[in-house]
Amino acid sequence: MFSTFNINYRSGEPIYQQIYNEVVKEISLGLLLPQEKIATVRELATTLGINPNTVSKAYGLLEQNGYIYSAVGKGSFVADSSGKLAGLRESTMKDLKKDLTNAHNLGVEYKDVIDLADDVYSGGGKQNA
Amino acid sequence: MFIAEVANRMLEIKNITKKFGDKTALENLSFTIPEGSVFGLIGSNGSGKSTLLRIISGVFRADGGTAEIDGESTFENPGIKEKCFFISDYPYFYNNSTLDSMAAFYRDFYPSWDEAKFAKLCGIFPINKKDRIVNMSKGMQRQAALMIALSVCPKYILLDEIFDGLDPVVRQLIKKLIMELVSDNNTTVIIASHNLRELEDVCDHIGLIHKGGIVMEKDLDEAKLGIHRVQAVFENELGEGVFNDLEIVSIKKQGRMMTFTIKGDGPAIEQAIKAQNPVYMEMLPLTLEEVFISEMEAVGYDIDNILE
Repeated sequence: MFSTFNINYRSGEPIYQQIYNEVVKEISLGLLLPQEKIATVRELATTLGINPNTVSKAYGLLEQNGYIYSAVGKGSFVADSSGKLAGLRESTMKDLKKDLTNAHNLGVEYKDVIDLADDVYSGGGKQNA
Repeated sequence: MFIAEVANRMLEIKNITKKFGDKTALENLSFTIPEGSVFGLIGSNGSGKSTLLRIISGVFRADGGTAEIDGESTFENPGIKEKCFFISDYPYFYNNSTLDSMAAFYRDFYPSWDEAKFAKLCGIFPINKKDRIVNMSKGMQRQAALMIALSVCPKYILLDEIFDGLDPVVRQLIKKLIMELVSDNNTTVIIASHNLRELEDVCDHIGLIHKGGIVMEKDLDEAKLGIHRVQAVFENELGEGVFNDLEIVSIKKQGRMMTFTIKGDGPAIEQAIKAQNPVYMEMLPLTLEEVFISEMEAVGYDIDNILE
């Protein structure tokens, strides 16, 4: 089962995408480990009270992108996506460097950057802003 | 027929027209709902939602067109009616009936009746099986009707204002139970409501009905992804026609801040705006309500009459 799950129904972001992002987040943070069984479509749909078609859509996309795999009759499992995640982290760091350089050139204070980093990291990366 | 027509499993509304006297309730209405879909039918009071559900369930005969389930007309068709369950906006119960006696009644009509499921539901809902249903509150009556509907395990379930008069706890419980039904039986659900907010977390398709016609019918995710709001400040006046390639629904100006509502693909829109070197720009998500308002305005409908 998933340890945390935030679905914002009010958001303009489609629910399947929110589920997708949540699962990827839990895998990235190591809350879900490779080969670990995740909730079935039925379990997730009934516990959250959302449409199973929506959950299926998210799972389909997760499988397509190699984050999970499914075994017929057994459910879905976390795939080993460490290589993929390492790549994602690397490209994110590059983006971050570019943005930070930009911020530095625009005269953003070092302290403000550190405060922002503290803020994001203490919130567990939940802020989407 | 030698080959089973699996592809035919769906609900089709074909050119339905229904008149009451000289009043037209539905006019040449057509749309299709695929099997296993949860379809939200949104419309103001008197827009024709309930009439449509009554035609689909075979209570009314349409003056023109047909409602077909799995390729067969639903009117006077017992084979199809066995697969359907309809809860009207005022659920009907026989005089002096109890939940037990209504269960016995429906058990005889539906071969798919699941006694174990009924027993389970009786343990979940705070309803005494021996109490007379007429003495129950409106909300309790709705729950009683739903307990029976879920026990039938129908392939098609039609719900008219099912969340009306229910407290938030029961509402959430009912959503979960309906989603369980969809997961287990691949049931197709049609929920009619005048309130978009009630439907946005459960439906995958939404149809907007107004004055007896479908104004729009959309996949919810596509609707959300197909329209964007962008706030931007530009240093210089924008040249004439710089955004000609974008499908702009509306532009609002407040001082130097411009707010665009634009249809289309997110990254493409972002790129087009960035190309004009904005001093500031932000992509803002639209709530489903805003998506609908924008869609409706785009086709020239007055939204105030449709959403409360």
